[in-house]
Amino acid sequence: MSLKSYSRARAVHAMLVYTGGCNGCDIEIVNAVFSPKFDAEQYKIFLTWNPREADVLIVTGPVTKHNEKPLKEIYDAIPEPKAVIAVGACALMGGVYKNIHGDIPSEEIAGPVDQVIPVDAKVPGCAVRPEDLLAGAVAALPLLLDAK
Amino acid sequence: MDENDKPKRQEVIETEVTMGTVHSAAIEPYRVRLFVEDEIVRDAEITVGLNHRGIERIMEGLPVEKANSLTEKICGICSNSHIWNSVLVAEKGLGIEIPERASYIRIIMGELERLHSHFLYLAHGNEVLGHETFAMRLFYIRETVMELLRMIGGNRVQYGVSIIGGVRPRCELDLMRIQKISEGMDLIEQKITEFADRFVSDPMIMSRITGVGVLTKKDALRLAATGPTLRSTGVDLDLRRDMEIYDPFEFDVITQEDGDVKSNLLMRVLEIPESIKIIRQALKNLPSGPITDRSWEMQDTGIIKSYIEVPRGKLLHSYALEEGRVRGSIVRTPSITNIGAMQQACIGNHISDAQLAIVQCDPCFTCTDRAIKITQIQI
Repeated sequence: MSLKSYSRARAVHAMLVYTGGCNGCDIEIVNAVFSPKFDAEQYKIFLTWNPREADVLIVTGPVTKHNEKPLKEIYDAIPEPKAVIAVGACALMGGVYKNIHGDIPSEEIAGPVDQVIPVDAKVPGCAVRPEDLLAGAVAALPLLLDAK
Repeated sequence: MDENDKPKRQEVIETEVTMGTVHSAAIEPYRVRLFVEDEIVRDAEITVGLNHRGIERIMEGLPVEKANSLTEKICGICSNSHIWNSVLVAEKGLGIEIPERASYIRIIMGELERLHSHFLYLAHGNEVLGHETFAMRLFYIRETVMELLRMIGGNRVQYGVSIIGGVRPRCELDLMRIQKISEGMDLIEQKITEFADRFVSDPMIMSRITGVGVLTKKDALRLAATGPTLRSTGVDLDLRRDMEIYDPFEFDVITQEDGDVKSNLLMRVLEIPESIKIIRQALKNLPSGPITDRSWEMQDTGIIKSYIEVPRGKLLHSYALEEGRVRGSIVRTPSITNIGAMQQACIGNHISDAQLAIVQCDPCFTCTDRAIKITQIQI
């Protein structure tokens, strides 16, 4: 293990971006990191709101058209190496907001997250469980640690 | 530069500070423009619409039970309130009497949701004002409520308890569940009492929040504020007293006088024991019998409106039924009427307190993104 990956593994900063879901996944993520019951901070995963400081981007929500541009800008602002975790049913496939009207295209939703930015790990659930999120974050870690 | 060319102090131009759409202080995407003069906020403008998913439009033409489940997805904090009120609309229109046990279970769910929403508010408020220890402590207490909600509804966020004619069979409260809820209530009451003692006796926190983000009674009424935001300015208005379903329960409506961050936070701290009181009464007098009555028949109705009191204030759902399908759905959430109060609360504060002044009105921008029509009222 190189010194770089050794030190990276000890301070993983995750940024949460919310793109128009129902707030449920958001609170569960903040809960997963903050609340003493799940406490991701004990695994050295910290929540940050600054893209230039972040290693992992956690995206929730179906990406409304208004949020498409900010999301891309945030993705570009994160330094390499980076990983993106799409969290929740909306982020994975648009959720009810995109799919409930069948084949009629939605006027509000720009599509699931992987149509806007590349996604590395996906965590399903409506709303996502904090335990699952921790598992997803662990699955995305090799991307950060093995990068040169 | 010549001395005469310098701008005089009175002529200092208003500076605009914008936050958003994604900003570190604001978790949800919205945009705030603060017009600042000497670091004091003179005017504020909140722009919403980034989360607009058009739920009312998606609901148009859906079968009524599918539409009811969809309303739950309006908000992840007060999901139960939305499905409850949406179901009430159909029940009102079709003239359905639900079993008494079902209405008690709905009230228990509603009050548990109020508890978790208030704990979230307190935790978020403490985080914003800079006391992370209290925030974590409150998140820890909130976990007890979340476990109870998960036990009854099967999910931590979307419970789906109410259906037309009662509550879902899986949400039946058996003896084990009643036992667990009452144990949870004892624990929460003990913890919130400890928290309240420490909170009000902490001179640093009290001096930080007293007199910040003041909303006067007149402004609150003029801007049509609702719920705890209105009650914190001294207006004694709670829709729960007018709801028939709450008639068998005894509870006090909490009001505060000042309308600042302190009275808003204390409002929630004092409302939590009242919710616990209602849940205890409901568990004690829980009637026996069926919890679902599915023997109703679909018919066409005109536009029906239903108002209920939810953790953030007054919630309206309205739609008409046509061949079992939803037509002309309207949702008016409490947080959208509180936007005016949020803007007003920012004014006159230091710019670093502006976020706290917004948070004190309990914003929820997923609820807020509805299509609205604003009309001026005279007071």
